[in-house]
Order: sequence, then C-alpha cells, then structure tokens
Amino acid sequence: MNDFSELETELKKLRPMAVSDPLCARIERELAQSAITPTAGLLLRPAKRRQGGWTLGLGLAAAAALVVVALNFHSTPPAKPPVLAQQETPAPAVPVASGFQASALTQVVYGQRDEGLVFLPNQSERVLRRVRYDTRETMQWRDPQTGASLRVSYPAEQVVLTPVSFQ
Amino acid sequence: MERTRTHEDWKTCFAQMGPALVLFARRWTNCRAEAEDVVQEAFVRFWRRQHAIENRALLYATVRSAALDRLRSEQRRARREATAAQDGADHYEPQFTSENEGEQLLANAVERLPDEQREVVVLKIWSEFTFAEIGNILEISQNTAASRYRYALGALRKTLQPHE
Repeated sequence: MNDFSELETELKKLRPMAVSDPLCARIERELAQSAITPTAGLLLRPAKRRQGGWTLGLGLAAAAALVVVALNFHSTPPAKPPVLAQQETPAPAVPVASGFQASALTQVVYGQRDEGLVFLPNQSERVLRRVRYDTRETMQWRDPQTGASLRVSYPAEQVVLTPVSFQ
Repeated sequence: MERTRTHEDWKTCFAQMGPALVLFARRWTNCRAEAEDVVQEAFVRFWRRQHAIENRALLYATVRSAALDRLRSEQRRARREATAAQDGADHYEPQFTSENEGEQLLANAVERLPDEQREVVVLKIWSEFTFAEIGNILEISQNTAASRYRYALGALRKTLQPHE
C-alpha cells in the first residue's frame, strides 16, 4: 500500500539537531520565575473591576461638563472657514462663572472628502459641490488669577457646500 | 486521562520533543537561534497554562502560533532592517545530524522541500502525528496534509534517484 516505506525508513534514521543547552537553561529560568510568581501557570483573566459605577459616574459628569462648556463657547462662535492645516486663533474672551476665560481655539483638518455635486431640493438649477471635512477642535480656557487652564478636544465633522457654475 | 505532573516533568518532555519542535519552528524562521526563541516562548506558554502533557498537537499548534506572531512582527521590522536579513540569508545551518554521505544528501533534499511540504514531513516523520492531527495543527484538511506528504516524498525520491 505504501510504496514510500523504504524512503520513510531512511528519513527516520535522520536525527534532528539537538537543542542547545542555553535554550534549556532559558526555559528553566522562565519556568522557575513563574513558579515563584503567585499567579504562575494560571494566567487568570483579570477579575471584572467593581468600580464600574464610579467610573460611569465620572464619565457622565465629564461629558456633562464638556457639553456645558461647549455650549458656552459656541454662544459666540467665530466664523471658521475650513482649512487644511492647523489654525490657531485667539478665542474671544468669554468670562465664565469660575473665572476661566477662553484663550485659544485650534482646529486641525485631517481629512477631506469631495462628495461630488448635489442639487438643492427646491432649486433644481442650483448646483453645489459638497465637501466633508474631518476635524479635531481643541478649546482652551485659562484662569488669569490662578493660572489654571482647561483644555477640551473633540472630533468634529463639517460639510461645506460651494456653488458651482457651468459656462 | 491527564496525569498529575511536577515542575521537573518539563525536562523529560522537552528532551523528547525539543529537537522536533525546533525543526518544526524552522519553517517560519531565518535561523536556528530564532527557531529556538520561538520554541522557548511557545513551550513556556504551553507549560504555564498546564495543558495535558499528552496533548502534543496543542504544543505544536502553540509553536506555530508563536512563530506566526513573531513572523508578523518580523515582517514589519524587516522593512527597516533589510540589510540584517540579507546577512542572515548567506548563513547555512544544518538541521539534521548525518553520519554518512547518503544521510547528508537526504537531509539536504528535505531542507530544499517547499515549506508547506516540509512541515508535513517534519510532523509525520519526526513527530509521528497522524494526518488528522497534522491537519489540526496546520489548519488544513487531513486530505491536504496527506497529499502534501505524498508530493514531498515523491519529490525526495526523484531528487535522490541519481544517487541511489
């Protein structure tokens, strides 16, 4: 049935090279290391953390603070044209109850997608080019009295419609 | 049936399986030292997780997994270290101990087999796995393993014919 039996016998006579002594020593060292480690050999999955509620609360509080701050900041929004570079503008000083004043606004455009031509619903002859920008905006506040500063950064997306005229 | 094992068991186990494991790991590595590193990582990982000693196929699969992990990171690194890889390519390391010219020819022929055939031969001849086990280790079908084995032995026979 097996016409390779003679060749297999010859192959079995070949012996793979023995492993080096340093390899055995390295394995011994690693296993000995794990033997003195309390969790050695088990590699238990870490238990689920029990401070989930605490973390969630903190996260929600941070998110709420962010929303309040963002709304406050955008109450006097500077008109921002889309740029493909980092832009730093001194933000208008809007006094906040805590004494923080807006000190800088940074907008970094890291992505641009040309989505082609679109037609406005009620103006069929009006053609616009729609370009979508992926940006990251960073706002900074500073309390001049204490020197404390607050910084908020978030991703944003902007869609710009540019009229297109055909000759 | 899994038997209780002691910390010293690994030496017995490794003495029996080490050479074949390194031979198996050579499939994905540039040199013997790298193959030994892979075997070390896999063997320690296997032993720490307290798998049954008899589960040899899992040990080989662990070696394969460790080798592939290493290969992926090596490929990323290779783009930056192309020169070093070139230096290693010129270096030849025998994988078998041969006592006569016939064995030397056979060993050379085995080393020249395509990787996917050689790994099946290594697992079949020097680790004595069944084709079903080889299929599990290499994540291929049993028939594919058997077919690669036949092609490999056919190629070896053809290579050796003029010398016989």
